[in-house]
Amino acid sequence: MHHGADAAPAAPGDGGDPAELGWRAAQARHRAMLEAALDCIVTMDHQGRVVEFNPAAEATFGYRSEEAVGREMAELIVPPDLRERHRAGLARYLADGHPRMLDQRIEVEAMRRDGSMMPVELTITRIEVPGPAIFTAYIRDITERHRAETELRASRARVVEAGYEARRRIERDLHDGAQQQLVAVTMTLRMVRTRIEQGNAAGALEMLEEASGDLSDAISELRELARGIHPAVLTEGGLEPALRGLVQRSAVPALLTDAPQERFAPTAEAAIYYAVAEALTNVARHARAQSVEVEVAVTDGRLWAEVRDDGVGGASEGSGTGLRGLSDRLAVLDGGLTVDSPPGAGTKVRVEVPCGS
Amino acid sequence: MLSLVPLRVLIVDDHERFRATAGRALEAEGWSVVGEAADGAGALAAVEEIDADVLLLDVGLPDMSGVDVAAAVRDRHPELAVVLVSTQDAADYHELVAASGARGFLSKAELSGAALQAMVAGPA
Repeated sequence: MHHGADAAPAAPGDGGDPAELGWRAAQARHRAMLEAALDCIVTMDHQGRVVEFNPAAEATFGYRSEEAVGREMAELIVPPDLRERHRAGLARYLADGHPRMLDQRIEVEAMRRDGSMMPVELTITRIEVPGPAIFTAYIRDITERHRAETELRASRARVVEAGYEARRRIERDLHDGAQQQLVAVTMTLRMVRTRIEQGNAAGALEMLEEASGDLSDAISELRELARGIHPAVLTEGGLEPALRGLVQRSAVPALLTDAPQERFAPTAEAAIYYAVAEALTNVARHARAQSVEVEVAVTDGRLWAEVRDDGVGGASEGSGTGLRGLSDRLAVLDGGLTVDSPPGAGTKVRVEVPCGS
Repeated sequence: MLSLVPLRVLIVDDHERFRATAGRALEAEGWSVVGEAADGAGALAAVEEIDADVLLLDVGLPDMSGVDVAAAVRDRHPELAVVLVSTQDAADYHELVAASGARGFLSKAELSGAALQAMVAGPA
């Protein structure tokens, strides 16, 4: 490429000269890199006009390279309300040589040919060649990334809110259940004392019977509540006995067709247990089913559970079934949930989590 | 110490069990239970229709807070002594009770005819 001080650019000549061949090979390589790049590469001269527009830029912005080269870049891909800032920035750099936006990752809006906007990540660098400034912009469409980030934030918020909601429910259950029963016992025992003081032994015994019944009820309530918070049998015995309990207590007749004998990480066991519990609750509430099957097993390092009912189908993640909350919690563990529920043909809910160990 | 004429009490609580047990306990100590309600709307209606000396009012009602009911009753029936109750204890409810105009607060566990009488007969 450096053919001496002659100002005329050396054209690739007829082959044979090794330096010439080396130069042409390098050119070919560079061209191939531009063509193959996934990111948009747009080169702009000191007057703000497009010099190069690679295939990724063509696809992203909707201009063919021939249409873009020679046009002012600001008019093509910079949103109208940002154009003056772009032009002013370029002018300022050319005047004082102080880079402000160069060589940094910047997130801005860019404009497609059809006028629609998209968020992009961009880096502008100045190419070091003698003569007037040439800039290259590397541009990446981050619409998909933004969408994924927004969904992730929303999912996290839902999980946190669901946690608070679960705690409020526990408080409510304690208040409405066991606490009320224990208060009743206190008042009843006070009446026992009054009756004894009055010499009414028969009346006192009657009240003691009542207090005894209230205490049994309170214990049952607390046991149910504790099981809802975290069933001891799951911690102590693992999935198989815990699932057996769920199936026995299911309002719709249920059959456990398969359950793993081995233990897994506590979070994985809990995720599967609660998913099956939630699915069985949905069957009882919505499915109008005669029977339901529960199957849990391991395949290819994934611990999965299926709950299959013969009810009315038509279930989806939206409809107040708690399935979206379940899906959020499974996603946290890199797990997932699928619902197969053709109307009139029963429902199959499948959940899986990686079981690592 | 019993008063010569039984004091009349309205019991308002969303737990039927408590209304029954409390009613029985109070009557055993000489009170007269003249009415019941299970929510704020029912409480306000009962206060209009039934003559009572004391309104025993649960703080946690399904449709409105007992504190708000107490404030509404204080404006319309200043002569009716309102006593707030809850399964929680007094420490949690101090300022709310004072602001509502209720005569006082009793936790359900300490509720008895005597305790209620002491609260109502005390300085207004």
